[in-house]
Amino acid sequence: MKSLLAVMAYLIFPGGLFVVVGSLAYEYVDRKLIARFQNRVGPRWFQPLADFVKLLVKEEIIPQGVNPGLFVWLPVVALAAALATALYVPMAGLNPTWSFRGDVVATVYLLMMMTLCIGLAGANTSDRFSIIGAVRALTQLFSYEAPFLLALLGPAVVAGSWRIADINAFAQERLWMIVTQPLGFLVALIGLMGKLELSPFDAPEAETEIVSGALTEYSGRGLAFFRLGRDIELFVGLTLISAFYLGGLANPLQFLVKTLALLFVTAGLQSLFARLRIDQTVGLWWRIGALLALTQLLILIGLKTLGVAI
Amino acid sequence: MSTGSEMEAVPQLVTRLGRAQPAGDNRLSVELAVEHLPAAVEALTKARWGYLSAITGLDRTPGETEGADSGESAPPRRAQFEALYHFCRGATVLTLRVKASGENPTLPSITAVAPGAILQERELAEVFGMHITNLPARGRLLLSEDWPENLFPMRKKNTPEAIRARISEPPPAPLPASSPERPGRFVVPIGPQHPALKEPAHFELEVDGEIVKDVSLRLGYVHRGIEKAAESRSWIHNLYLMERICGICSHIHATAYALGVEQLAGITAPPRAQAIRVLFAEMERIHSHLLWLGVAAHQAGFDTLFMFTWRDRETIMNLLDEVSGNRVNYSVNVLGGVKYDIDDPRADAIRRGVDSLERRIHHYLDIVTADESFLRRTRGVGVFPTEKADVLGVVGPTARASGILRDVRVDAPYSAYRDFPVTPVTDQGCDLAARFVVRIKELFECCRLIRAILGSFPPGELRVDVPRRIPEGEVISRVEAPRGELFYYLRSAGGPMPDRVKVRTPSLANWAYVLSVAVGLKLADIPMVVVGIDPCFSCNDRMFSVHQVGRNAE
Amino acid sequence: MPAQIPRSLRGIVDRIALWSRINSPWLVHFNSGSCNGCDIEILATLAPRYDLERLGVKLWGSPRHADVLVCTGPVTRQSRDRLFRTYEQMPAPKFVVAVGSCGITGGAFHGCYNIVGDIGDIIPVDVYIPGCPPRPEAIIDGVVQLLTKLRASAVVQSPLRMEAKA
Repeated sequence: MKSLLAVMAYLIFPGGLFVVVGSLAYEYVDRKLIARFQNRVGPRWFQPLADFVKLLVKEEIIPQGVNPGLFVWLPVVALAAALATALYVPMAGLNPTWSFRGDVVATVYLLMMMTLCIGLAGANTSDRFSIIGAVRALTQLFSYEAPFLLALLGPAVVAGSWRIADINAFAQERLWMIVTQPLGFLVALIGLMGKLELSPFDAPEAETEIVSGALTEYSGRGLAFFRLGRDIELFVGLTLISAFYLGGLANPLQFLVKTLALLFVTAGLQSLFARLRIDQTVGLWWRIGALLALTQLLILIGLKTLGVAI
Repeated sequence: MSTGSEMEAVPQLVTRLGRAQPAGDNRLSVELAVEHLPAAVEALTKARWGYLSAITGLDRTPGETEGADSGESAPPRRAQFEALYHFCRGATVLTLRVKASGENPTLPSITAVAPGAILQERELAEVFGMHITNLPARGRLLLSEDWPENLFPMRKKNTPEAIRARISEPPPAPLPASSPERPGRFVVPIGPQHPALKEPAHFELEVDGEIVKDVSLRLGYVHRGIEKAAESRSWIHNLYLMERICGICSHIHATAYALGVEQLAGITAPPRAQAIRVLFAEMERIHSHLLWLGVAAHQAGFDTLFMFTWRDRETIMNLLDEVSGNRVNYSVNVLGGVKYDIDDPRADAIRRGVDSLERRIHHYLDIVTADESFLRRTRGVGVFPTEKADVLGVVGPTARASGILRDVRVDAPYSAYRDFPVTPVTDQGCDLAARFVVRIKELFECCRLIRAILGSFPPGELRVDVPRRIPEGEVISRVEAPRGELFYYLRSAGGPMPDRVKVRTPSLANWAYVLSVAVGLKLADIPMVVVGIDPCFSCNDRMFSVHQVGRNAE
Repeated sequence: MPAQIPRSLRGIVDRIALWSRINSPWLVHFNSGSCNGCDIEILATLAPRYDLERLGVKLWGSPRHADVLVCTGPVTRQSRDRLFRTYEQMPAPKFVVAVGSCGITGGAFHGCYNIVGDIGDIIPVDVYIPGCPPRPEAIIDGVVQLLTKLRASAVVQSPLRMEAKA
């Protein structure tokens, strides 16, 4: 019975199917919101699903000059890593399926796999644009992943645990950490947007400069997996940030309300600014972001040592 | 216009070297011997007398009007060619005329003293078969790599049919790469299919990381052979052809052409027609600048601004549609006047539209001057000092943003601009941000002009008759397109079809700027700098250009 | 009218595939020598007034990501090769929409010396949208016609005719 439940958890809920459907739904909300901000009507509700299915049934072209094994398997690995993260976070407001000491670090690492895979995928081809996109993606990785991790460690330090489940429980009892650690929240949110290469941090995918960046040569299934992986990361990332900073996720209703609120904010941020050049994103965020997160962390550690209850 | 004093300012050297004679309103022609050309050009550039606006090639071979293949018609006549170098200062156009003859006519290059001439000299060499000595660059520009040698399309003896008969099928193998790969070079090709370019062109940027080390440009993808086609269509037919040189600035092309033909025919369109022409020209300027603003925003990754500007642009598109029946290619001009009238309801609609637009334009001005994320992409990027801009002969808002007051509507008012004068907009910023500011402020000026015209609309007829055969002569028609000075040279041999139509578009003059600032920029800035000149490749490939900067001479 | 709906699993998969293709037509744009008028009107369809994203249309830069090649202009000698290569790079199933009269007959430039032919001479075209330029409404109508054609014929793959210029 237990193993049957485990399989169901992996494949259907809260992992697998639920995550996929949820991510596609959130992509729809994101695109619809952006369209509305831009004074347009926007896509229909099943659009992300149609896009995904269409890509799956499209011919996959493996360009010359690539390592075919890498080319085919990188998207799979990226998708698998993204799906795996769903098992460690309080998906749908329920307790995480799996939990162990240090799983916050493991989850962040899994979330990083996507960017790594994209970078490798871009470097794997001989297309100019892909190579530049890969370089930019990996550069952005440094400027966003590290601060993102630091920002998530803040609540971990305060909660006194490295387990997401514990942090989630802790957050439900305390004042929302967005109030007590505003810097951390900001860094985490911007870090997530940077990781996912959402505008204005989409230099690695700057369409008007390097076509589609690292993914220029991908088509069909590979592209479908990368895109879905991105959506899942958005979904999981929003879950994580709202669990930590928005007072924990105790039940599905809180989950919906808080993650959608965050999605609204990200959609707004995506619409408001011009794209930052790669040197600007790195220059800006590697310095400021990391500094902010570090400062916040140090303050927290200091306060904790002094025994101040936050 | 004190053209008398402009004429006097022409360096004595020039008038002494050749035979000078007035050639119509504000025009001076100087016939020079070939060997005196460089000296004359040098005298002009040293004295800072105007700027080189265009170089026209003419095939003056007598009797070659029918489409006979070379070598088969009898008797063979010695081929004669003429090259016209047009310098503009204020309203005056000084034309240096140089003759060359034979199958391989030779001309000296003037790029040593006028670097901006490289593009136009290469055109002469390619389509007329002029041999230009000391030309610093080689290779195909406008025509494709597989074009037959010694087939010069603009020579009279080569009719379009004859050319097509001689062009063999394109080879099945792909065209050769534009430049061989040198080891250690990382070259990013942009175009001809690229999201940054709505029109095809081919840039090759050699980059080191994100810094551009070298740039070369291959155009000609939109070269359709219009100037040649114009010689075998009637004067009226050509109006519709010229309109379609460019879809964005179609009206101004047609206006320049119509004004030129009317000048040749010695008639003037009635005042009401002129006012309507200017009204449409200003509405076109609004639509073009808003379009450009949106595209530039898209280049900068600011899609929201792109959507907003194109939504507002629909206001103007509606107005254009309402009056002329088409959103693009409004076809307002006829030879001798205009087709459509603007009655009171339409005038009111235009006024209302312009009012609502003006409120939005204030908002856009705020964005380009105050939005930090946008300014980060435009402030200090692509700085082009006034001196350099002057020497290279850039035109239009690109020049005006570097502090140069160059606006044909002010320097040489044409059509209704004499009655409705324009206040030019300049900015001393010299960078990309300044270009944004200039174009948006010009929008305000357009709105003001439109209101002024509607406020005192001259009554009267809409057109006068123009004969089918236009009297012999040559004329230069200069107008201010949204992108800058548009230069038309028309020549008639007295028949129902033009002898020569030469178009020098503003984007051609502005490429020199892009290529000279590109080296040292970041890759991400290149699309922004390119869009800063508001390039129009379809206008451009009237001519063509390849430029190699960096290691090679500029 | 659509053929008899197949009952096998494969038939269901085909139906889903067809549904997804009809509802997610991704475009790539190529200008093979046009005056720009048609291209601007194509862009206008993505702007708020017409908003093609309602139909699931997205404009991509890489041909590998696209299903439909939207092509404008008479084909000039230089752009011929690129046009063909852009078409080749697209994964199957792929479709071509030629926008503007120039793509049909050369339009105003018929007879000019640097024009090698119409778009249909170089690559197989599924829908022609005449006009100089066609209004955005006409372009949207053309796209809808393409999608309707897909639905009616259940064509899964467009024939890949590698023809040399006739």
